[in-house]
Amino acid sequence: MATNRPIAEEVVAALAQYLRRDSRSISLSHHLRNDLGLDSMAIIELLYKIEEVFDLQIPDSDLPALTTVGHVVAYVEKTRSSDSATSRKPSPPTPKRKKT
Amino acid sequence: MKNRVVITGLGIVSSLGIGVDNFWKAALAGHSGISRIEGFDPFPIGGYRSQVAGQILDFHPERFLPPAQADRVDRYAQFALVAVKEALADADLGLSREDPHRVGVFVGAGMGGMVMGERELTQLYQTLKPHRVHPNFIPTITLNSASGIVAMAYGAKGPNLTISTACSSSAHALGEAMHCIRHGRADVVITVGADASLTPLVFAGFCSLRALSSRFNDEPTRASRPFDRQRDGFAMGEGAGALILESLPHAKRRKAKIYAEVAGYAATSEAYHMVIPKEDGADVARTMRLALHDAGLAPRLVDYINAHATSTPVGDAVEAKAIRSVFGKQTDRIAVNATKSLVGHTLGAAGAIGAIATVLGLSTGTLHPTANYEDPDPACRLAGLSVHVQERSVKVALLNAFGFGSNNAALVLTKYGTRL
Repeated sequence: MATNRPIAEEVVAALAQYLRRDSRSISLSHHLRNDLGLDSMAIIELLYKIEEVFDLQIPDSDLPALTTVGHVVAYVEKTRSSDSATSRKPSPPTPKRKKT
Repeated sequence: MKNRVVITGLGIVSSLGIGVDNFWKAALAGHSGISRIEGFDPFPIGGYRSQVAGQILDFHPERFLPPAQADRVDRYAQFALVAVKEALADADLGLSREDPHRVGVFVGAGMGGMVMGERELTQLYQTLKPHRVHPNFIPTITLNSASGIVAMAYGAKGPNLTISTACSSSAHALGEAMHCIRHGRADVVITVGADASLTPLVFAGFCSLRALSSRFNDEPTRASRPFDRQRDGFAMGEGAGALILESLPHAKRRKAKIYAEVAGYAATSEAYHMVIPKEDGADVARTMRLALHDAGLAPRLVDYINAHATSTPVGDAVEAKAIRSVFGKQTDRIAVNATKSLVGHTLGAAGAIGAIATVLGLSTGTLHPTANYEDPDPACRLAGLSVHVQERSVKVALLNAFGFGSNNAALVLTKYGTRL
């Protein structure tokens, strides 16, 4: 579950855990494939972890734009803020598992 | 002296129809067998990213099989039994007239008996009663249950093998069956590809791999679109294809109708990645060259390719690149089609179903359309692809199949009785 830590810190921590490297060596500008060496399968596994940490579902169509650490952070921030703005609307067709 | 190997019988269970006539009529019309999934009880389909598949919605095993046989096997093995029954009848091959020790069964299956597998696992965890796991659970989920049950159904006592190389399983089964007959270990091999794993867990797993199309959930017939610019993953399918392979002398002796010859085969590994194809396509190209070498045929003789073409962005592009590297300037005169555009990706059954489409193309001179090939992707343009039926007098066909686990297969099928 997400803590009160800033989203960027959470994303980098998840990435560091996945890559088994020091989180201080990962920056927002890092390209997932070219700088961090993640292949397409590894990116999918990382995003699976991000979905769990932030209680999200990332549609296939959003994947191609998530190429850097910063993109992932911005995506999570945007999705979470639009989630809270729409939280009183009826459930979408793919209901998320709300834990709160 | 090596035996030549020919195909004398065909049988199919597909989302386009059960039986070769139904399948072929729908295939030539360019129909799509992909439909919207209603849900995986108790899970609503809204919880899945992809919501379409090549489902066989009207399969009633009791119409084809004795109830005692149908009830005791999983859905994929039911498909296999029904396809084999048709193929043996088509070949007019009475097993009572054959030496049973010279008749083999080779099955390609990727997932196997997942229907019962998931049901028993769920029940075990829900009831917490290990002693209530069904006694037929192990015999059903054992991956060679289909090859065993087919042999028992017909008394085939020759080599009995199951080959599991994911999506290339039945292409490998066909190739290995050909070698078995070529080298004199059997006169006949009943060769089958079968898979039926449109189940809550397996389908969710492919969704999580981000391998399936989700862009066309509201337009299911548009979801499988190999080589098209809008493709976004494969549409999962289910089904079975059966082909009767026999030695040419054996087929001639009994005056069998001959559809085509299995002339060459190659199997290779990229030794690269479990699910990602190597982008240079070098090993795919090598596989095609090796299969042609095995057939003793030059690449310039190939006039038709039934592509693996699952409709994934990377896979189709790699295959097109490999085809171009093997055939060079000749590439664009070769007819190409993608059977998965019609029935989706039937995993372990895909090679056999593709082979049936290829054999029918060779024997009739009519090649089925590649459905949804509307906006050719420049990254994998092949002039021989068409959304329409192609009337072409083809003599030498190449069938490609690639599977998770970094493996490749290619088969060379030729029109029987033509001078090359």
